[in-house]
Amino acid sequence: MILLAAALAAASPAEPADAAPAADTVAPAANKAAPAEPPTRSAAAERVTAWVAGTGDNHGHPYIIVDKPAARVYLFDKTGKPLREAPVLIGRAIGDEATPAIGRKSLSEIGPAEKTTPAGRYLARFGRAVGHPVLWVDYATSVALHTIPPANKEHRRARMLSPQIDDNRITFGCINVPEAFYKAVGPRFRKDGGYVYVLPDVKPLETVFPMLAVYRPPGAADLAATPR
Amino acid sequence: MPVTKIAPLVVIAAASLGLSGCATKQFVREQVAVVNARVDTLEQRVGANEAATRQAAADAQAAGTAASAANQTTNQRIDQLNARVDGLEQRMTRPKRARN
Repeated sequence: MILLAAALAAASPAEPADAAPAADTVAPAANKAAPAEPPTRSAAAERVTAWVAGTGDNHGHPYIIVDKPAARVYLFDKTGKPLREAPVLIGRAIGDEATPAIGRKSLSEIGPAEKTTPAGRYLARFGRAVGHPVLWVDYATSVALHTIPPANKEHRRARMLSPQIDDNRITFGCINVPEAFYKAVGPRFRKDGGYVYVLPDVKPLETVFPMLAVYRPPGAADLAATPR
Repeated sequence: MPVTKIAPLVVIAAASLGLSGCATKQFVREQVAVVNARVDTLEQRVGANEAATRQAAADAQAAGTAASAANQTTNQRIDQLNARVDGLEQRMTRPKRARN
């Protein structure tokens, strides 16, 4: 248990310029085998990553991609260089929308089906919140990115450490990340914020990110223009 | 059989063979010419279609690029406005509770 706590709380040193992306896969429990290699991104995450980097959709800001179906989160710098990846806890309910006016409800008023992490593209900034400052992903619907709240009865730390994906759905809609990941986000997002792309559970990717439908990777465009 | 009797037969046979051979070549040439003409026409049409398709693809790509650029500009403006509204709201109200 001490090992687990230490792994989650471990601060990450600043990455050297040419460092490979660090995987905040947190130390596995004693009875679980360590993965041989960091998990790779899903096809959807790869597609969004290529689109953001290829079109400069992040407008010179650092960005985060939250892959809800895979329960993983990826941090990139402003040039699109991958910096970190980690497991993530997300809203308990499957769904890509936020209930209207949910941002004005207290936690006890939020019903089980309302506990979604809404999919979309957000300009996230640090800001005030009850308890401590958080990275507000969507202030209007009260979705923020932060570490696991200290007082929780859902064994969130164990859920984050578990290799299963289903048990990562536990929050009221917020995005919980390991402390090392959060510390890597802090200095990059502190001044001007950054973009957060939340991939959908059920909606088509092009519905959530419409410009994906017209984006062609450079290789594909060259191929189409090549005369026969 | 005397030679004088055989000679006309040989001449007739040779003439009929020669005539039939000429007619076959002519027929083939005519048919080939017809097919060639059709192939040429089709080739021209395919070429024209290909050029039109390429132009349409280029136009579509240009329109897509313009739309994409316009969309990015609009999105950036919306992002800036959202951030300002959120900032104002945070300043005017008590700290909000995140959805944990």
